[in-house]
Amino acid sequence: MNKLFQSLLNPEVNGVPATGDNPGSASAEGHKKRPILNRRGFLIGATGAGFTLAFYRPGLSVAQPGDVVADKTFDPTIWYQLQTDGRIIVNIAEAEMGQHVGTALARIVADELEADWSRVELNHVDSDPKWGLMVTGGSWSVWQNFMPLSRAGAAGRQVLIEEGAKLLGVSPDECRARNSEVLAGGQSISYAEIVQRGDLSRTFSESELENIPVKPAAERRLIGQEALALDVPGKTNGRAMYGIDATVENMVFARPLIPPTRYGSTIQAIDDSDAKDIDGYLQTIQLNDPTGTVPGWAAVIATSFTAANKAAERIRVDWAAGDTATVSEQDILDHSLRLIEETSQGALVVDDEGVDSAFSSADSLLTQDYIAHSVLHFQLEPVNALAFQEEGRWEIHTGNQWQSLILPVLAKALDVPESQVIMRTYMLGGGFGRRLNGDYAVPAALAAKTIGRPVKMMFTREDDVRFDSIRSPAYQRLRMAFDADGQPIGMEHHATAGWPTQVMVPAFMPAATNEVKYDPFAIQGAAHWYSVGAHRLRAISNDLANDTFRPGWLRSVGSGWVNWALESFMDEAAHHVGRDPIEFRLALLKAEGKNAGSAPNAVGGAARQANVLRRVREIANWQQTMPENTGLGVATSYGQERNMPTWTACVARVRVDRETGKVNLEKLTLVTDAGTVVHPDGARAQVEGAALWGASMALHEGTLIEDGQVQARNLNTYTPLRMRDVPEIESEFIDSTELAVGLGEPATTVVGPAIANAIFAAVGVRMRDLPIRPAAVLAALQG
Amino acid sequence: MPTSFELNGRSVTLQVADDTPLLWGIREDAGLTGTKYGCGIGLCGSCTVLVNGRATRSCITPLSEVKNLAVTTIEGLHPSGEHPLQKAWIKTQTPQCGYCQSGQIMQAAAMLVDFPDPSDEQIDNIMSGNLCRCMAYVRIRKAIKLAAAEMRDDIASSPTAPETAAHE
Amino acid sequence: MKRLAIGTVALLVLLLMAMLILAWESSIAQQDAPAEDTFSQRQIDRGEVIAGLGNCQSCHTVDPERPYAGGRAFPTPFGTLYATNITPHPESGIGRWSEAAFIRAMREGVARDGSHLFPAFPYTHFTRVRDEDLQALYAYTMTREPVDARAPENDLTFPFNIRLLQAGWKLLFFEPGVWQPDTEKSDAWNRGEYLAEGLAHCSACHTPRNTFGAENQDRDYDGAMVNNWYAPAMSAGNPPPVAWTESELYTYLREGASTYHGVALGSMADVVHQGLGIVDDSDIRALATYFSDVTGALPEDQTAAQASRRIADAQRESMAMRSNDTGELNRGEQLFSNGCAACHYNSADDPNVLRPELSLNSALNADNPVNLIRATLRGVSNESGIQGVLMPGFASWNNADLAALFAFLRATHTDHPAWNDLEQRIARQRSDVTTSTE
Repeated sequence: MNKLFQSLLNPEVNGVPATGDNPGSASAEGHKKRPILNRRGFLIGATGAGFTLAFYRPGLSVAQPGDVVADKTFDPTIWYQLQTDGRIIVNIAEAEMGQHVGTALARIVADELEADWSRVELNHVDSDPKWGLMVTGGSWSVWQNFMPLSRAGAAGRQVLIEEGAKLLGVSPDECRARNSEVLAGGQSISYAEIVQRGDLSRTFSESELENIPVKPAAERRLIGQEALALDVPGKTNGRAMYGIDATVENMVFARPLIPPTRYGSTIQAIDDSDAKDIDGYLQTIQLNDPTGTVPGWAAVIATSFTAANKAAERIRVDWAAGDTATVSEQDILDHSLRLIEETSQGALVVDDEGVDSAFSSADSLLTQDYIAHSVLHFQLEPVNALAFQEEGRWEIHTGNQWQSLILPVLAKALDVPESQVIMRTYMLGGGFGRRLNGDYAVPAALAAKTIGRPVKMMFTREDDVRFDSIRSPAYQRLRMAFDADGQPIGMEHHATAGWPTQVMVPAFMPAATNEVKYDPFAIQGAAHWYSVGAHRLRAISNDLANDTFRPGWLRSVGSGWVNWALESFMDEAAHHVGRDPIEFRLALLKAEGKNAGSAPNAVGGAARQANVLRRVREIANWQQTMPENTGLGVATSYGQERNMPTWTACVARVRVDRETGKVNLEKLTLVTDAGTVVHPDGARAQVEGAALWGASMALHEGTLIEDGQVQARNLNTYTPLRMRDVPEIESEFIDSTELAVGLGEPATTVVGPAIANAIFAAVGVRMRDLPIRPAAVLAALQG
Repeated sequence: MPTSFELNGRSVTLQVADDTPLLWGIREDAGLTGTKYGCGIGLCGSCTVLVNGRATRSCITPLSEVKNLAVTTIEGLHPSGEHPLQKAWIKTQTPQCGYCQSGQIMQAAAMLVDFPDPSDEQIDNIMSGNLCRCMAYVRIRKAIKLAAAEMRDDIASSPTAPETAAHE
Repeated sequence: MKRLAIGTVALLVLLLMAMLILAWESSIAQQDAPAEDTFSQRQIDRGEVIAGLGNCQSCHTVDPERPYAGGRAFPTPFGTLYATNITPHPESGIGRWSEAAFIRAMREGVARDGSHLFPAFPYTHFTRVRDEDLQALYAYTMTREPVDARAPENDLTFPFNIRLLQAGWKLLFFEPGVWQPDTEKSDAWNRGEYLAEGLAHCSACHTPRNTFGAENQDRDYDGAMVNNWYAPAMSAGNPPPVAWTESELYTYLREGASTYHGVALGSMADVVHQGLGIVDDSDIRALATYFSDVTGALPEDQTAAQASRRIADAQRESMAMRSNDTGELNRGEQLFSNGCAACHYNSADDPNVLRPELSLNSALNADNPVNLIRATLRGVSNESGIQGVLMPGFASWNNADLAALFAFLRATHTDHPAWNDLEQRIARQRSDVTTSTE
């Protein structure tokens, strides 16, 4: 997620006090669930095969580190073990979904620990409630954990050196650590031996921990170097275990029967008479869901998924459909427009003084509307969950990004206390935000409870798509006021969409300047770093969208549509005043006032955004002469949150076929400043993947709501980008030792507007609907 | 009706309806979960296995069709996971979420039989049936070319290779 | 006037009597099953090959566990016929048929009891088979496992259910007589012709039939619908995208596939893999020689270039479809790329027989899309086409998607006009295919 989200969980990260605009009031839940990292001490306690190093929780007696370790009453997000055989096991609470997060986190520890990387292993922990909050949202894992992990590693190194020195009979000052060894002059002793012979038990208070020196960047040996991600080999030989691979003795398979509307449908009758003779078919059950997560659902139970599928085809369910059964995409967009035009609606996220006077005194105005249509997650592993009861406790096995969000819901569905529900972690066959919302685990739990037997609920692809938490269709209006010199003096941005956070965790919604609560993720990316005079940013929840489907967090969430509008509009604004689009932007990225930036996360502010923009201009050869119907377009972004900016700029090169309107994306050039890059190869992979996601959503994906549901159901009609559609990609990172920030998402947000801007450069037509379809380009070309 | 076939070199008999898709027979009954379900209609490629050496979408292939044939899954591509493609996939760190990669690798393995030195055009045409939702395509292409080169070198340097191979 | 009427009636009666006399065939006495040692093993083995060449099993078997027990239905414009039990079962089979009765049936289309057989049984071809081959076939047939199974009664509409009328049909359309060589032609050609026009009765499927169900002599090998499959045209006047060569014909008949034409499906798969499977190479080569003549084959050095041009054209036209997302053809292009190309894409200069190239495929170039529809819906089992290679069926695709795919292929991969009503035709085949017992 972003800094804002992070601050909701943990308002003072890395010793940085929460900034004033952070809505601390909404974070009470977060406080309870997660201790503040730098308010805790650190301990090292003996365990069976070595020592465990972990943060301890405030208020605990730490006289006996061993007891804390034995009870595992330490903070779970960062802990590791030194084994007597020299292995170093780093425990990872983050979900692994392709970002190689475990590797990145382990390398931060191992670097400070001066560990032999070849002896480092990962262990993905379960969701035992004592582990506290578990969420892996876009892009913040590395950023959030960088300093705590570094200190954890440094503490381990210091103790190993102390004990190693003792064993070598030298002073710790004479020792240094390298490659899992403590070295003193000509002598050395391995970590394994120190663990076997020494006593590493220690407790560090909060202030002691802070005083442990962390290595300067020049001393880093793993961070910033290439390394094989530890999760990769298992993904080439079939051994990686995903949720869909989970099994347990005596389990049966369930296939959901999904009602015609997301909410409000009720089952009138179920007729399974035609299914009874199917070998393996057991029964069809109605799911009575006290949580309202899956109202009106039934489940087909069978001894195999194939039998469940066969039966599902023959079972007739008569539903009384809910109110949204006729809602269309256009209805939602029309509703958006009405909301925008009612000025009393929505949250004023930014509301500088003088906006109205800037517009009334302007020499010229520019107003444009932008649409982004529905997008599916289409993570390749359809959602699924295995639920069963064991020794009085419910086990939920499923790939999930945010266990803490769904655990209370599961507990309520199962009618047990949260302490009796545990989620086991698996690899995620794609997250992209879909598995932040663990709603798919609820019907599995309900089915298992109803039939009193372990249930593996599997969604077919079509089920998964119908039940997706889609990226909401979004409608936006942008306005800019210019003075007589063509300088922007005021700007308005109004954005409407379904709000995922409102639907799923309303407590996480901060209050805007007008006290209206809003979904930060639905508007992030819009609080830009351009100095455009008085700025007003209004976010409006589309209640019709929220009622029709469960809006989802989808890779970069609001930035996906917000930056589409913002960066298309900045281009239009540049052309409005007759300026080069990059020059125009650079002139506004002044790094002054609120855009000056601040330590540690946003050092340099807008100047760093200007820097990536200048760099991309250079390597994309922006001034080159283009062949006919070919053009370059630019877009930039600070990512999602002003307090965790990932500075990104992109130039797209397109060739437009005037006969058909087809847009051929020839090349993407990207420059990213993500501060320190911990795992360069992984970082490049994230940017490549994110950029292609952006291209896919701009040119290949997108669906429409029709009769209350998404139109597309499978790959016959939903057509993400494939191998043959891949453009040439040139990607560069700015060398930086600033704090590491996330980069799983920002590149997705710049590609769409860069393409639209390139189309304008190529053939002079302005595309304002996402995705960009050839038919629409052709229509625009034909005037 | 039970179905017997060869799975990764071993003879198996699955006691399930023979209209069960091969994918689910492999996963649920033979217990090999490396082959993945993605779309169920032969359009994503995650379920790709080799049947008698040819890439086959197992989600739409009934068990009855592979009776007495040789089926190879990702688990059986190489005894220790060191097929040149697997090594190349690791070297290039191709997998992100990894869910599609069994299918990608099996499809690539079949492709290299027909196209030992695949051009970009050939890779585009043959690999576009395999969706990678993480969009790791750049690396998939790179890994295929790396593996293809290694496999050609192996052939060229093997003692049984024709004399001319080294001069080409 | 009255006299004329009487005269006419008398003439008609006379004609009828003459016809009856002509049509009347004697019954041949039943005999006990021949003793075990009646036939030499050599003769039986030879008979097995003859049966293969005639592909008897394909029509006379429903359950592979009970070969030759008959019962297979043949829907015709005149009603449904059922193949009979030709195992040597004394009651329900032909166990009491003498060799003479057997040979008469093969040569004249008359059952042992004297009744006329319908020409769905291709005695019009078998009449040309030499004695020694028929004797061997008899030996093979009479040494099969007897199966007690009675085929359902034929279900023909009036008047086609009157067997006697078959006599008239024979008068019009049947030329009895053992095959004679054409001394102008090579031995191989003659051998091929003997096999193709006699035992193998190729034209029975590949030549269209007239209103009376007889092969239309003017349209020899012009292609025809049989059992809901289209038997492609083989005549020189209906050339495939790439001309046949003698070696392609040989490969096709031997292996069930040819690079430039596609794979053998449906009953042709039975012909190749069951019937011709045990036939000597020299006979397969003879068939290839004969069909080189029939099809107007070209030398090999000409066909490779023809094929490459064709494939390159198809790929170029496909690319053009890709650039437009509005039409059905673009949708078809995308479906082809994502669902088919992994197996069917070829380099233009080097098509691979294991990757059937659709621009050259007879199913796609036929006037009737039925073969393409059926192959796509049900797939190609490893026993059809190239043995050991299978294509899964795509019945999980909806009719609109399949129609888009086929329309795209037809438009870009052939020079033929679009097919009409694809969606309806697919729907029809889907219901037919799912109930089919084939």
